[in-house]
Amino acid sequence: MIKTSQLSKRVSTAESELEILRGIELEIKQGETAAIVGASGSGKSTLLGLLAGLDTPSAGAILLDGTNIVNLDEDQRATLRSQKVGFVFQSFQLLPALTALENVMLPLELAGIAHAREKSEEFLTRVGLDERLHHYPRTLSGGEQQRVAIARAFASQPVILFADEPTGNLDTATGANVIELLFGLNEEEGTTLVLVTHDNSLADRCQRKFTMTAGQLEEAL
Amino acid sequence: MKSPIAASFRLLLRDWRGGELGVLFSALLLAVTVVVAISGFVNRLQFNLERESASFLAADLVVSSAKPVPLEWRAKVDTEGLQRGETITFSSMVISDNDEMFLASVKAVGGGYPLRGSLSVDVGSAQPSSRLPAPGSVFLAPRLVQQLRVAVGDAVYVGDATLTVTGTLLSEPDSTSGFFGYGPRLVMNSADLDATGIVQPGSRVTYRLLVAGSSNQLESFRDWVDPQLTQGQRLLSVDESQPGIGATLERARGFLLLAGSLGVMLAAAAILVAARRFGERHTDQVAVMKSLGATKRMIQQLYALSLTWLGLLSIVLGSGIGWLAQSAMFNALADQLPGEINRIGVTPYLTGAVTALVCVGFFAWPPLARLGGVSPLRVIRRETTIANSTRALDLLLGAASLGLLMLWYSRDLQLTAALLGAVAITVGLGFFVAHGLLGGTRQIGSNAGSVWRLALAGMQRRGNSSAFQVVIFGIAIMLLLVLTAVRTSLLDQWRLQIPEGTPNHFVLNVSPSDEARLLTFFSEREIEVGELYPAARGRVMAVNNAPLPDRDSAEGGARQREANFTSTDTAPEGNEIVEGAWWSVGTDAALVSLEDGFAQDIGARVGDQLTIRIAADEFSVEVASIRKVNWESMQPNFFVIFPDQLLLKFPNMLFTSFYLEPDEKRRVGELLDVIPTLTIIELDVAIAEIKTIIDQVSQAIELVLIVILVAGALVLIAGVSASVDERLHESAILRALGAGRGTLLGAVAIEFAAMGSLAGVLAILGSEAAGWALQTQMLELDYQVQWILWPMGIGLGAIIIGGLGTFACRRVVSAPPLKVLREL
Repeated sequence: MIKTSQLSKRVSTAESELEILRGIELEIKQGETAAIVGASGSGKSTLLGLLAGLDTPSAGAILLDGTNIVNLDEDQRATLRSQKVGFVFQSFQLLPALTALENVMLPLELAGIAHAREKSEEFLTRVGLDERLHHYPRTLSGGEQQRVAIARAFASQPVILFADEPTGNLDTATGANVIELLFGLNEEEGTTLVLVTHDNSLADRCQRKFTMTAGQLEEAL
Repeated sequence: MKSPIAASFRLLLRDWRGGELGVLFSALLLAVTVVVAISGFVNRLQFNLERESASFLAADLVVSSAKPVPLEWRAKVDTEGLQRGETITFSSMVISDNDEMFLASVKAVGGGYPLRGSLSVDVGSAQPSSRLPAPGSVFLAPRLVQQLRVAVGDAVYVGDATLTVTGTLLSEPDSTSGFFGYGPRLVMNSADLDATGIVQPGSRVTYRLLVAGSSNQLESFRDWVDPQLTQGQRLLSVDESQPGIGATLERARGFLLLAGSLGVMLAAAAILVAARRFGERHTDQVAVMKSLGATKRMIQQLYALSLTWLGLLSIVLGSGIGWLAQSAMFNALADQLPGEINRIGVTPYLTGAVTALVCVGFFAWPPLARLGGVSPLRVIRRETTIANSTRALDLLLGAASLGLLMLWYSRDLQLTAALLGAVAITVGLGFFVAHGLLGGTRQIGSNAGSVWRLALAGMQRRGNSSAFQVVIFGIAIMLLLVLTAVRTSLLDQWRLQIPEGTPNHFVLNVSPSDEARLLTFFSEREIEVGELYPAARGRVMAVNNAPLPDRDSAEGGARQREANFTSTDTAPEGNEIVEGAWWSVGTDAALVSLEDGFAQDIGARVGDQLTIRIAADEFSVEVASIRKVNWESMQPNFFVIFPDQLLLKFPNMLFTSFYLEPDEKRRVGELLDVIPTLTIIELDVAIAEIKTIIDQVSQAIELVLIVILVAGALVLIAGVSASVDERLHESAILRALGAGRGTLLGAVAIEFAAMGSLAGVLAILGSEAAGWALQTQMLELDYQVQWILWPMGIGLGAIIIGGLGTFACRRVVSAPPLKVLREL
C-alpha cells in the first residue's frame, strides 16, 4: 500500500544544511494500522507530510497505492490525494466559514463524488453529530470538531488515512473517545491508517509501531 | 470538481456568511459608486451649467457678421435640425413725440430668438412677459423710457418707422454680447427693419445668426461653416464670448475630474489592501482544500469566478447607489439650478464598470491568484511561508492600468501624470523612509518604557507590512491634501476674480469739462468711483513704417486695428509685463505698451515703431512693453496704453467705472439727467450671473470634496482593519503573559499614531509635488507651499490613524485571550 526507499529530506538554513530524514525504508500493507512515535523535532511530521504527498523529498521514492508520487507534480499529487488520501489533523483544520456538514462535503465535492450531501450526513451520523449538521466550527467543542474532521476524512472513502497527533489538542477523556471513533471507523471501512503521535497508549493500539530518532526510522517489534 | 460555477457561488455565499468578504466588497462597491456618482454629477452639472452659460449668448453658437448672413447658412442650420434665431444690432437715434431724442442701441430680433435664456419685459401686468415684440412694437430699456419721457402705448420713431412702445425691457440674455454697443437698448421685431430704412450697404450693423442644438449637430455645423467665414465674420461660443465663464467652467471641470480620479485611486488602494487581507485570511483554508485534493487550477478558478460574481454585483449595486448619490448631490443644488435636466447619460455607468474591471483584475486578483500556490504542507507546518507579499510587477501593472483608467476618465495627460508621479514619490520614498525610520524607532524603543518598546518593536517586526500600511495611509492622506489644497486655491481665485464691490458700471465719453460735475455727483451720493482714465479712439496704421492693410481688406495676416487708447504712468494693476519694461513716471518719450494679443494681431514687437492715428493726427511711437491682461477680472482693461504726457496733446474724453448696489439702479438715470452726454455700460446683470455660476460650482466642489473625504476615510479603515488580525494573536499571548489593558491599548495607539505621522510626512511630500504640478500646469493657479499643511498632516495623520487603529483593535483587549488563541 505504501512503500518508501532511501527517502531523505534536507533543508538549507542560514548556517548549514540540515538533514531531517535519512534513508527511510518503510512498508505498510493494505488495511494495516501504523504509528510513528518520536520526540519533538525528530522528523515524524516531515515524514507524514512526504508520505501524504504534501511535500517533496530531496531523494528517494514513495510508492502510494502503486504510484511513485515523487514523480508527480503538485497538481497530480492533489488529484491523487482527493481520490485516495484522508487526513485528521491535530488542530482539526475545519474551515470556519463552513458548517459541519459543508466541511465534510468539501473533499467529496473536490473529488467530484456523487451524493456528497447524503454521504456526509451518513458519516456525521456515524460520529454522533447528526444533531449538529448545521453548526459552525466555532460553536462546537474541541472533541466535536475533531469528530467532524474524522467524518470528513472517512467520507471520501480513502484507501489510506493519515492522522497527525489527532488527540494532541484534546483532554484525555475526549481524546479517548475520538480514538475509539477513529479505530472503529477504520475497522469498518478497512482503511490503511498511519498516525503520528507522542501518545504511547495510542501507538500501542496500532498493529505496527515505528520510532523516529534524529531522522532515522526503526520499527519496534 | 463537478461544476466550478456552482462551487464558486457556494464559496462566495459561505465567505459572505463568514464575514470574510465585507471589506473587499465594500471597497469594490465604493470604487464603482464613487466613479458613477462623480462622473454622473460632473456630466449633469456640466450639461446644466453649459446650458445656463449659453444664455449669455442667447444661443449655443453664434455667427457674427458685418454683412447679412448668407441665406444658405440659414438653410444649413435648418437642414441640420438645429434651432435658428437672428439679431441685427446697430446704433440709432430714437425720437419721441415730445421731441426728446436719444442714441439707442437697437436690436432687431427674429426667428426663435432667444434660443437660450429668456427676455423679461414689464408689459404692465403682474407677471413680466417673455414674448418678443410683435411687428410694429418695441421694448425700451428703463433708461430709454426715462430719457425719451414716454410710457407704454406711446409712439417712438426709429429711422423712417413709427413703432409703439409695448413694454419695458427688464433683462435680456445676451445683454453683454455687444460690449461696445453703447446706449440703452431698444428691442424691435426684425420684420420692421426694412421700414426704418436705416440698414443700408455700408452702415455699421452687426448681424448675428443664433444656433442651438445637440453638441453633435453643433459640431457638424461649426465644421461646415468655419472654412467659409470671411473678413468681419466670427464664430462665438460660450467659452469664447465670455472668457470669465469659460475659464470658470474649465477649472471646475478640471477639479471635478481630478476629484473623480482621486476617487478611483483611493478605491484602488482600498481594494489592494482588502484583497491582501482576504488572501491572507484564506491561506489556511486553501491549504486545507489543497490537502484534501484541490489543484492549483481549481483554486484559481474558484477564486476567479468568485471575484467575477463580486465584480458584477458591485457594478450593479454601485451603479444604483452612484445614481442615487449624484441625485442627492444635485438635489442639494436644485434651487440654484433652475430648470435643471435630470440626465447623466451612459458614460458614468460604463466608467464605473470599467473601473470595477480594472480594480478586480489588477488589484484584487493578484493576491488571490497567489493562493493557488499555497503549499498544502501548511496544514501540518503553520510556519510554511506564503507568497503573499505584494510584488513589484503587480504594483507596476496596477499603476499602469490605473494610469490608463485615469487617462481615459479625465482625458488629461498632465493630470494623470501629476497624480501618478505624486503616488510614485509617496510609494518610493515611502518604503525607503518607512524602513529607515522604522529601524530608527526600534533603537529609540529599546531605551524607552515598556509600552513604547512594545509598540515600536511591533512596528519594526512587521517591517514590510508596516511600510505597506504607512504607504497606503500616506497615499490616502496625500490625495486628500491635494484635493483640499486645490479646492482652496480654486475658491480663493474665484473670490478674487469678482470681489465684492467690483465695478459693475462703466462710464464713457466724460468730457474734461464734465469731470468735476461727475465727481461731485458721486461724492454727494457716497458712491465709490474708480480712477478716471483718458480714453481716445484711435487706430494703428503702420508697423515700422510698413502700412497695415485696411480693416476690411481681404488679405490674411496683420491688419489695421482700432481700439480705445488710454494713458497712465503706472502699470495697471493685474497686468503682467511679459516683454520690455514700463516707463518712468512723467516721461515725455513717444512710447506705447501693447496687450500681447493685440501686438500679435498687428505683428508688432518691443522696439518696433508704430504709426498711430487719433482723429486726424498721425504720430509715431516705440513699443516699450507688451502686457498680459487678465480679461477675467472684469476691470477696465486696455489694449493700448501711452505715457500721460503723450495723450495730453490730443483731445480726449475720460473713462471710469463705479459700483452700484442693485437697489441703487436709479442712480444711472439721475447721472444721465445731470450729464446727458455720458455713455454708460451696465454690466451689473452679467457680473451677477457670473457670480451665481461661481457660487454654484463652488458648492458642487464642496459636495464632491465630502464624497472623496468619505472615500479616503474608508481606505484608512480598510488599512487599519487589515492589520487587526496580525495583532490579535500576539496581543492575546501578551495578555496571557499578564500585560494589562492599558499597556496593550497604549502600545497599539502609539504604533498606529507613529505610522500615521510617518504617513503624514510622506503625504505632505507627495502632495506638495502633485499640488505644484496640478496648480501651475493644469489649473493655471499660482502655487504656494502650504506650510500650514505640514504640522496638520503629521498631527492629523497621528490622531486619525492612531484613533482608528485603537478603535479597530479594541477587540484585542476586550476578547478573552483564550478565545482568541483558540480561534487562530
